[in-house]
Amino acid sequence: MAITILAPAPAAAALPPRDHVRDSNDDDDSDNSDNGGVNLQGDFDKGSRPAKRARHTDIITPGETVTDDSQWMRGHGTYIAPASTEIIATVAGTVQKTNKLLSVRPLRARYTPEIGDLVVGRIVEVQSKRWRVDVGAPVFAGLPLSAINLPGGILRKRTETDELQIRTFFSEGDLLVAEVQSLHQDGSASLHTRSLKFGKLRNGIFMSVSGMGGGGGVVRAKRQVWMIHTAGGGGEVDVILGVNGYIWISKHIEAAGGDTAITRIEEKISSTVYSSQNDEISVETRTEIARIGSVIQLLVQEGVKIEEETISKAYEAAVGVASLNQGEGSGYLGGELGRIVMADVGKSS
Amino acid sequence: MPLDTSSYSLALLRLDGRRWNELRRITAQISTMPSADGSSYLEMGNTKVLCTVTGPCEGGGTRDRDRADIRVELAIAGFSGVDRKRVGRGDKRVSEMVSTIQSTFASTLFTNLYPQSTIHISLHVLSQDGSLLAALLNASTLALIDAGIPMRDYITASTAGSTSSYSSNDESADPLLDLNTSEEQELPFLTVATLGGSDQVSVLVMETRVQAGRLEGMLAVGVDGCKQVREILDDVVREHGKEVLKSGRL
Amino acid sequence: MPRELGPSLNERQFFLQALKEEVRIDSRGFGDFRAIQLDFGDEYGVSDVRIGKTRVLTNITAEVTTPFPDRPFDGPFTITTSLSAMASPSFSGPPSETEVLLARLLEKTLRRSGALDTESLCLIAGRAVFSIRADVHVLSHDGNLTDAACLGVVAALRHFRRGDSEVKGEDVKVFTMAEREGVALSLLHYPLCVTFSFYEGEVVLVDATLSEEQMREGSCTIGMNKHGEVCQIAKLGGAPVDAVILLSCSNLALRHVERMSKVMEERLLEDAKRRYKGGIKAEPSSENARVP
Repeated sequence: MAITILAPAPAAAALPPRDHVRDSNDDDDSDNSDNGGVNLQGDFDKGSRPAKRARHTDIITPGETVTDDSQWMRGHGTYIAPASTEIIATVAGTVQKTNKLLSVRPLRARYTPEIGDLVVGRIVEVQSKRWRVDVGAPVFAGLPLSAINLPGGILRKRTETDELQIRTFFSEGDLLVAEVQSLHQDGSASLHTRSLKFGKLRNGIFMSVSGMGGGGGVVRAKRQVWMIHTAGGGGEVDVILGVNGYIWISKHIEAAGGDTAITRIEEKISSTVYSSQNDEISVETRTEIARIGSVIQLLVQEGVKIEEETISKAYEAAVGVASLNQGEGSGYLGGELGRIVMADVGKSS
Repeated sequence: MPLDTSSYSLALLRLDGRRWNELRRITAQISTMPSADGSSYLEMGNTKVLCTVTGPCEGGGTRDRDRADIRVELAIAGFSGVDRKRVGRGDKRVSEMVSTIQSTFASTLFTNLYPQSTIHISLHVLSQDGSLLAALLNASTLALIDAGIPMRDYITASTAGSTSSYSSNDESADPLLDLNTSEEQELPFLTVATLGGSDQVSVLVMETRVQAGRLEGMLAVGVDGCKQVREILDDVVREHGKEVLKSGRL
Repeated sequence: MPRELGPSLNERQFFLQALKEEVRIDSRGFGDFRAIQLDFGDEYGVSDVRIGKTRVLTNITAEVTTPFPDRPFDGPFTITTSLSAMASPSFSGPPSETEVLLARLLEKTLRRSGALDTESLCLIAGRAVFSIRADVHVLSHDGNLTDAACLGVVAALRHFRRGDSEVKGEDVKVFTMAEREGVALSLLHYPLCVTFSFYEGEVVLVDATLSEEQMREGSCTIGMNKHGEVCQIAKLGGAPVDAVILLSCSNLALRHVERMSKVMEERLLEDAKRRYKGGIKAEPSSENARVP
């Protein structure tokens, strides 16, 4: 072969390709080389795995029997073979046992919506009384017209005029932050933005990392939305981590007026809440927003969980590194600087 | 001659130094492309295949809209063979392989969990040296496991052939495991894929003439080869899983 | 492209339950073919195969062309399939997957296995060869197009007579049928296909009708000749089946191929007798041919 193909390096840091040279020479010679090279080793390994007492750090792969004890109920990621009581895994992951429920949590999977999740989504379709939102799930989520706040905080029934002017609220391509209200039979979510912290997003940048199930994704933590006091005169920056792996980093805009009672909440919803115009953002703020973005990219690359703590630590380390190496490109964390930042994070944690 | 008569009859070694029941070196990596939902890279000897899986994503679904649809795209690079040859999209051989892969995974994946959605499998062949369909099925299995799409078991595949030429009734003909290109061109062979290394055959394709009596031997050797491949692929998945757990991502 | 309406849930349940009780809807045995009818046209090389309600017409034509540059001794042999809307409404529009797979299967069974001796078609190496073309037309689709089409092509190839040819130096003269009797094609073996359909509960059916095909979970087509050589096997995905069952299918396939070959031989003989006007020994007569 004139061309040599180099294998691609895997996503995780410098993992050498595993050579599976099956030294069947040794096995077969010792067993019986005439019977088709049956590898008895493999059978032993399988049998010695304590299937009933699989610890939570054990990896289980598809087709492997988790247990055949009939006291367990099967949950996600498993199936029961017909005419048998064996619970067999269908994904590669770890076993989770809750009371009598046995499920397998996959190492990586597409985001599946749960009620109460805070998600960032993008409008892909405008239908007559609702929007279809891409949240990174197997099916689009729905946002009904009745589930949004009208500008100015008006409380009234939605009329045909609202339906005709539906695009004045959200149009195709708009980003929004919402909460999952309910789930349909086929697994699709129904969203709502009935709170001040939900609604249309602007003044910032959007990022996407892989969703739930591990693999450097976003976790369901206590705080999905918080503010970072940035260095270098950047001011306040909001970070919104959607559970579905979509992230929004934007300049913090202070809502006019102080805290109002819940009964006067309509006064807080300004008439510009559905505006698509960005406000004035200074260069320093943009720099800091970009820095946070590259910090998150770095964390994803290194396979660290994305949550408030890790991002804050990494951000501080990045600021420190940037101040040491002045000049062009001090914000780029892909190479050498990235490694220094990760080392700092490791030290401080 | 792929079976150099002198070396084969004397030492029962094929031209590349293997015995009749030895697989070529299989190297596989999982999760090679972070931007895809699932990805893998597989080498079976010199046959190198890349696979990415996207989905399940919105749109599609079977006609009854109760199961996910599976779309397979296969691109064979022009530089993959010994002679540079551009393989067009409408090539019947490619269509047949695409149809086989689609149909295989439609029966193996739990598509009923994702109604009204589509799972895209994209395959790229970088280098061909025999066992192409087998490598494609193996790479697809790994990528689908990486994407976390539930399945009944691994689909593992390998090729098996026979040293006899089709017209002779030579009783001492041996079945061979895992053929490379030169062996595939000269000898009758079949590609077999099983569900999880059991005896359940998912795919069986043979395009050359062989005496019916040889079939049993070839099939047995092929099925056993699939068992070996399953263990190798399983190890790859477990190693990857351990890495993920160790780095504290889960 | 209008889609084929599959059987209703009710029909499906009825059918599967019947299979469990070892009953097939049309009362055949699980391993039985439907009645096979093979007719030939008035012209040489036209065959009409009927398996139950499935009907496939095959036409063989030959012409003299230049060979491909990388194969100067071989005559090109092409098989084209056309599934028109006449056979089934789902066939209108671009070539469906069924058509592509059918064409591939016929190619593998007939071309790759070397049924037709392409070197015998050579007139002048590198310059003039006979190119044989088989056109398969599916007239009615009631399941098992593969077996019917394969039988049709093989029967038509055996039936076909190409014009006799004479090569004098660099000149090639091809005689018409009126000038000299045609020459039969040189076929090395006669591969035929048998298709098996799989259903849950390890049930295997031979020669599925259209509705049986729509309800099957997997299928396997085995191409064999009557000498027991397997020319091709195609189990392209579908539900997994035990390897032992597949091996038993190949044994069953041999019996069916032997039977189909016998039917083909009988029909070819009958057709030859019908055409044979007695040859040189027959005396010229002024009596009109009797109208049957």
